[in-house]
Amino acid sequence: MTYPSVYPTGTTIYNPDKCWNGYTIFQAREIGALLIDMNGAEVQLWKGVHGFPNKLLPGGYLMGSLGDRNVAYGMQDYIDLVQIDWDGNIVWKFDQYEFIEDPGEEPLWMARQHHDYQREGNPVGYYVPGMDPMVDSGNTLILNHKNLRNQEICDKLLLDDTIIEVTWDGELVWEWICSDHFEEMDFSEEARNIMFRNPNMRPAGGGMGDWMHINSMSLLGPNRWYDGGDKRFHPDNIIWCGRETNITAIIDKKTGKLIWKIGPDYNQTPELRELGWVIGQHHAHMIPRGLPGEGNILTFDNGGWAGYGAPNPGSPMGHQNALRDYSRVLEFDPTTLKIIWQYTPQEAGFMHPVDSNRFYSPFISSAQRLPNGNTLITEGSGGRILEITADHEIVWEYISPFWGKLFNINMVYRSYRVPYEWVPQLDPPKEVPVERIDVTTFRVPGAAEPGLQRVTTVDGVLPYQGPSAMCVATDTEDEE
Amino acid sequence: MSHTIFTATGCARCKIAKKYMDQQGIGYEELDIKGEGKEPFGQFYRANRSAIFRGKDGIEFPVFTDGSAIRQGVGVVIAYLQAGRDLDGFIGRSELSKGWIDGLHISGGPPLLGDKFVSVLAFLKKSGLRLQLGTDGRNASLLEQLLHDELGDRLIMDVKGPIALYGRILGEDVESTEIQKTIALVTRFPEYEFRTTVAPVIRKEGESPEISYLTLDEIGETARLIGEITESKKQPYLLRMFDPKTSRDERLKTVEKLPSNALFRYRSAAQKHQVLTTIEKV
Repeated sequence: MTYPSVYPTGTTIYNPDKCWNGYTIFQAREIGALLIDMNGAEVQLWKGVHGFPNKLLPGGYLMGSLGDRNVAYGMQDYIDLVQIDWDGNIVWKFDQYEFIEDPGEEPLWMARQHHDYQREGNPVGYYVPGMDPMVDSGNTLILNHKNLRNQEICDKLLLDDTIIEVTWDGELVWEWICSDHFEEMDFSEEARNIMFRNPNMRPAGGGMGDWMHINSMSLLGPNRWYDGGDKRFHPDNIIWCGRETNITAIIDKKTGKLIWKIGPDYNQTPELRELGWVIGQHHAHMIPRGLPGEGNILTFDNGGWAGYGAPNPGSPMGHQNALRDYSRVLEFDPTTLKIIWQYTPQEAGFMHPVDSNRFYSPFISSAQRLPNGNTLITEGSGGRILEITADHEIVWEYISPFWGKLFNINMVYRSYRVPYEWVPQLDPPKEVPVERIDVTTFRVPGAAEPGLQRVTTVDGVLPYQGPSAMCVATDTEDEE
Repeated sequence: MSHTIFTATGCARCKIAKKYMDQQGIGYEELDIKGEGKEPFGQFYRANRSAIFRGKDGIEFPVFTDGSAIRQGVGVVIAYLQAGRDLDGFIGRSELSKGWIDGLHISGGPPLLGDKFVSVLAFLKKSGLRLQLGTDGRNASLLEQLLHDELGDRLIMDVKGPIALYGRILGEDVESTEIQKTIALVTRFPEYEFRTTVAPVIRKEGESPEISYLTLDEIGETARLIGEITESKKQPYLLRMFDPKTSRDERLKTVEKLPSNALFRYRSAAQKHQVLTTIEKV
């Protein structure tokens, strides 16, 4: 999160020998759906195609949206979900969820899709050996919005989250409405009181409470927990996470009920306290079978500000009262909540907490487990995508060079790595290593070359002290 | 004949029933179940459980008896006092509260008794209750009168199905023009909603009747009918699940209930003609 005014964009680090090489798809801010190779070459742009997120399917198919609703009336409502071929032809489309008539706008059917969707064949929307998503058939799970009222939550209009399943022919065959399960979420009376007063009101449409804000939704898929008899982890069950409540939950596909969850209160049990507060998290999903860490939950724990509860100096009204100014990528066992692997400022090599905000995206972001055990992390707010080995080495880094004109930010909501063979239209690219530049000696044109031009020695100076002499305590003091 | 009315302290609807009896000069004994009537009502309830409905919120009052019949709820009690059993089909148990009353079935009785029904509704309305009326399309002229007299605050029309199947679903002949007239009147009420229960239809009578649920096309046709008559594709339209256990027709009690997700496809079929179609939460 701490950036200088000038820094390189595109691929900045690349070690082909340690990477799981392939193409990366992401939504380039206000440009379109962009496919890049490991060296950052922009090999295909679906111009102007939106994506919340974009995903690539085998055969060079893109999934995304043709546009979003006028923000005066809708909050992150994408009008449809489409599958587009390599040449830009729409081969599948869904928009028949709600008929919308906004003032001054052409009335139309909208999907009101946001944040996620999954095509049958693959539980999580990224490459898993032997689990290719279908491209010419199959059902699709879609995360959507719906406006409704629920007096248990708040007396104001709510922007609720729904999950629907639609067939290849566009028929809706299953629906889950988040607010129907409010009582299963274990909110304290304190949290309910705060939420009733302010369910995360957003101004669209005259005001609506985005009380949960689900930002990811995927299937569990086959897993060892279910095979071992734990019915909570039925392969058809769905995991989602809601950034405003800090809840990550699994719902029973048959009953819709929450059958596993963490949050909203991470002080509730010793296991949750050990896991630590997961705040404003994104992209919580179960690592699919066939990938290292299969069965564990992988999530981008943003930090930032989220939740409802007791007021504190950082949240005088108790709205978004959990605060942390750095992020964590966590892989944990869903049965014990033990952290199996993590990438936090410490693993990134930043002195904690004084430099921790250098790994920090307070919103968006994601983590994808790759077949060789690496993890592709989208540190979204700064447009940084990085591939990390299991022992925390950065073997690929890419900084999005696409700043928006409407939003002056190069954010990347989510990115996915796909194998070269998913894009048969292209020959696999040449993989050219990008050595990590030594920033202590790198200078921009016009700047002075490194090197001390004159050194004066002074008798009696003492050696420098360690970090314990800093204004605030650091993790190195703990070690001492 | 002695009249007894069991009431509860603070029960506004009990006061309305007593007011009616006072106005009509009907003598009665009042027993407040929170006072002196507690024990007598306990005995009365135990002796007449099957005649007194007890919902999840308890027993609705007033409960009335004249020794030969038991009536419960203000609308039902007044209807009985007004016309004996004649209005039984028109007025049933209300499930609404907070100033609203329903269970008022325009199509539930013979048109000849319409005036008595109107009279009861007028009294309830004048007493401050808001009236939610129900119709399945029959007795369109009575509906028109209620509209004229402003005796409906909300109207729910249960559109049984497409016109071609209407009589078959209701089990009696109906004039299609009457159904169409009702649909046209619905939208003139202050609040209204169209509903259809996705129900089984006896396609062929006989010892082994041929029974099957309304099809997707038939629901689509029903939605189209509403749109055609009201000249709008944006009517509030609710699809409901049929529960065989509640059917009055013995032949339909054994029909298998549709799976819980079945209504989604019906909603899609209806939305082609009525874009605001919703489905009942099961």
